[in-house]
Amino acid sequence: MKKQAFILLLSISWIWACEDRGQQEPLAENAPELFVPSISKTLNVGSFPQPDRNPMSKEGVLLGKKLFFDTNLSSNGKVSCASCHQPQLAFTDAVPLADHGVTGIELDRHAPPLFNLAWNTTGLFWDGGAHDLESLNFGPLTHPNEMGADLTAVLLYLNQEEEYLNLFEKAFPATPIQSATMSRAIAQYTKTLISQTSRYDLWMNGEIEFNSLELKGYEIYQANCSSCHEEGLFTDLSYHNNGLDESYPDPIDKEGVFLGRFRISHDSLDLGAYKTPSLRNITLTAPYMHDGRFSNLDEVFNHYSSGIKQNSSLAPQLKDGIPLNKEEKEALITFLKTLQDDQFIQKHLQDNPDLP
Amino acid sequence: MNVEITFENTLNGNTLELNQEIFTLPSGESFMVKKFKYYISNVILTDSETNTQYVETDSYHLMGQDFNSAIELGMIPSANYDQITFSIGVDEVANSRTDQTGDLDPNNDMAWNWNSGYKFVILEGEFIHQSTQERTGLVFHIGNNQNYATVTLPLSGLAAGKSASISLETAIDELFSNPNSLVPSNLASTTVMGGPVADQIGQNYADGFIKAN
Repeated sequence: MKKQAFILLLSISWIWACEDRGQQEPLAENAPELFVPSISKTLNVGSFPQPDRNPMSKEGVLLGKKLFFDTNLSSNGKVSCASCHQPQLAFTDAVPLADHGVTGIELDRHAPPLFNLAWNTTGLFWDGGAHDLESLNFGPLTHPNEMGADLTAVLLYLNQEEEYLNLFEKAFPATPIQSATMSRAIAQYTKTLISQTSRYDLWMNGEIEFNSLELKGYEIYQANCSSCHEEGLFTDLSYHNNGLDESYPDPIDKEGVFLGRFRISHDSLDLGAYKTPSLRNITLTAPYMHDGRFSNLDEVFNHYSSGIKQNSSLAPQLKDGIPLNKEEKEALITFLKTLQDDQFIQKHLQDNPDLP
Repeated sequence: MNVEITFENTLNGNTLELNQEIFTLPSGESFMVKKFKYYISNVILTDSETNTQYVETDSYHLMGQDFNSAIELGMIPSANYDQITFSIGVDEVANSRTDQTGDLDPNNDMAWNWNSGYKFVILEGEFIHQSTQERTGLVFHIGNNQNYATVTLPLSGLAAGKSASISLETAIDELFSNPNSLVPSNLASTTVMGGPVADQIGQNYADGFIKAN
């Protein structure tokens, strides 16, 4: 009898060992505590999408937060994810093109702000080249001019730190520390960056009133901006050529980085097309566009009113530009300010322990 | 029965050696290979008489010159296998994400960091340019789902119950020919990482690139 039980136990643990390590069965008392963040209806999204292989847990998010702010992952020990994605700036870095990666060489694209990422199911990065956050993280981590990480060296480091050994064991029990689990933890953390508590959200929920200028700005937004910056997430999560340039250079050593979404889709209609950025927190995330070429919202408005460059891939809705007069611009800016989410920023400052 | 699959890499019928200036491309250019790696995935052995199949699970193998040269299937059900099927590259599901382990671990230098997915075949080297006579870098990083190619080859000599080693051979020259002839000196860009030329190379390796040795 005893022998049979022993064999049964052995076979069970053998079955466990054979399972995909990403799909932990929550059966031990030390299993991570899974949760789904609460979602405001003002985001205008259905559920909270997450891949089966990486369900969000409190332990995973805590681990991911530590990794996100850890400069030791970079090749020179000085750059973390947060170097370009700073919480107080809605997780961007206030410069057009960062030169604060490990080599100091200027990057080719502007660091996008990070929030409401779970719903970016049409691809991440400005051109949508990353399918999901779990895959995306290896980009900035290993890019020679960003964090320049050698993944093997990173794993060596993580395996030598007592605190990481504990955190990984809690988030991914009985699983060796691998680049996959590291990336999944960072993805869990970045998916908790949910901006849904701006004055706009309070207004939509009937908790506050808008003044007349804010209301006028909202109407101007609805009439002129909402087809691409769709209300809710304030992006249609799609890719458009918004007329920044007439033509696009394609130097061999840049792997098509200036071609926009074309680099990924090889569709000529995607030349110069980039993902519509959200208007949420727009007052915190200057400069603007994929290369940070516009330093303030006035420059952005001027581009849309009179700076559109025509070519064959231009988004048709921008053919005649979006002419706005001074009063309309002022009202629109007033409305855009209501999309700044200070509560979100406070909640996610690095030393705020209230997570998630 | 215990079965392994071995790969020998060749160029114009000669055994490949890295960093040796002794090879010639089908176009006539002298060529030195510096790096050659490729994924072999979803291996299936078939006994067509009894219609039995062995399907390897989680079947992703990164092979390469001065790298892995054998796939150990280990002990598999006995049969008179007379066909092998495998794919060059990784399937659409595995190619849709890079947070994976084993041979698909992104620390293997085969994951694209700006376009989620894997390089299926990489060939890097230097050729002598026909017009400038200069040593010129050649980089093929071929991936994308349309270049996932499945190959079936006949096997001979495998008998049920007997351990076997299946010898396969890659022919780098086949990347440059059949059906699409590529002359590196004539390429608009000698760095190929996607686009029409990459797809031509994908068509080339789909047939004749891997043969029974």
